[in-house]
Amino acid sequence: MKKSNTSPEKGTLFKVGDKVCVRDMPYMFYTRSQLYTRGVVGTIAALTYKDLIPEEEAFNFDGRVEQYYIVRFRQKDLWPGYPFDNDTLQTECPHRWLEPATN
Amino acid sequence: MSHTHTHGNKDDSHHKAAPMVEEVTDYEVLEIAVRELAIEHGLFTAEDHRRFTEWAESIGPAAGSRLVAKAWTDPAYKTLALTDGLKACKEIGVDWAEPTGVGTPSDYMEFHVLEDTPTLHHVIVCTLCSCYPRPLLGMSPEWYRTTNYRRRLVRWPRQVLAEFGLILPPEVEVRIEDSNQKCRFMVMPVRPAGTENWTEEQLAEIVTRDCMIGVALPKPGRTADVHPIQKARRPVKSSHQEAAQ
Amino acid sequence: MPSQDLREQLELIRSIQPAVHVPQNWNYENTGPMYKAYMHPPHDVGGQFDVPIYYEEKEEEEWELNTYVTCEVLGWRGAWTAEERRRRADNDLGYTLYLGMPYYARWIWAAAKMLVDKKHISLAELQEKIAEVKSRYEKK
Repeated sequence: MKKSNTSPEKGTLFKVGDKVCVRDMPYMFYTRSQLYTRGVVGTIAALTYKDLIPEEEAFNFDGRVEQYYIVRFRQKDLWPGYPFDNDTLQTECPHRWLEPATN
Repeated sequence: MSHTHTHGNKDDSHHKAAPMVEEVTDYEVLEIAVRELAIEHGLFTAEDHRRFTEWAESIGPAAGSRLVAKAWTDPAYKTLALTDGLKACKEIGVDWAEPTGVGTPSDYMEFHVLEDTPTLHHVIVCTLCSCYPRPLLGMSPEWYRTTNYRRRLVRWPRQVLAEFGLILPPEVEVRIEDSNQKCRFMVMPVRPAGTENWTEEQLAEIVTRDCMIGVALPKPGRTADVHPIQKARRPVKSSHQEAAQ
Repeated sequence: MPSQDLREQLELIRSIQPAVHVPQNWNYENTGPMYKAYMHPPHDVGGQFDVPIYYEEKEEEEWELNTYVTCEVLGWRGAWTAEERRRRADNDLGYTLYLGMPYYARWIWAAAKMLVDKKHISLAELQEKIAEVKSRYEKK
């Protein structure tokens, strides 16, 4: 069930092509932002939909509705010593887990 | 262990009759207990359960195969499949809103087709659980749900693909799609050589479930995904098991 | 492919390799990395080490299909969302149950726990129902 927006995303929405970094937020109990992406720089591949964040939806909390993005990473950036230059990985992140990448 | 008998189960109007098997396992007991309590307390009706079961037994990978085969033969449909996945599904008879009218609780309504090219190969996993495009592909295979596949595919994709018999040249970009939120994905493989002038039916036959997850490539003559099968003690007796056999 | 007996034997041998067991009993402190490890949601397994295994199909049990449908219908009729189910069945239950129980066993465990947590049923009622269902199948 979609909830009405109670607080907009901090910062402007990202666009396709923007470089973003996955924030290394403190976590406990529940998140759907994978450990292997934290602190890694990727590129916005697509904007998908706006919805509740998992940390709140999983507890039936009538909370934040945020933009979700498909973010694309180079496998070489995700895994130490990854030997294939061209391989990539995509996954989906809600806005709160992303910040603009400095480089 | 005590033996089971089929007598004593008279109020069966809302659940299946006692099975003719030796032992009833703890999880079978728990499942019956939870379902009966939920119905007794009005959380859902037996009819709800029956209707959803009917939908669950109707889904399977054949629909996905049809989508790919149609996209391979009809450029306008291929464009639709890549820009509006839900609409493309509707055209081949799959409505993601079913059976509730607003989608299933687990599968949502955000479906995307990932197009392979000669230099880009997609493979899908859900590292956190086992999210899968059920309305189009049916139930996920057991191996897709394992912690093993979920641990390894994102980090050692080419090794895992090699175990499936799929080895790709290093120049090809392997792109893993970790479907960790509400989007659901399916791979549209490259149409293989040797299929010129094939009908949609012939093409659909070689687009197996493993091809649409991305762990296999379609090719002429390859019409089944072959894996060892763990048999059930008390299997579901219905046609939706065909995909596993 | 090795015979089933050989596969089982190799697994048994692997399972009796010695390891140093460090019992845990309410440590006074946890290091930073250990704290993070304890806080880590169990379902987030991407990138962890594991070995090649035979990737199998599994024939679905009747109870498994019923479980899937029960959980979805509980969602359909508003008792919970799929996201809550995942939180409960993939994380709340902890590593031992997460890795030890069958896939659909976690689903039905989570449904039962949810019904009790939300006071739809009392735990006592659930216990009595389980005992009663069990007794239907017991040899008289």
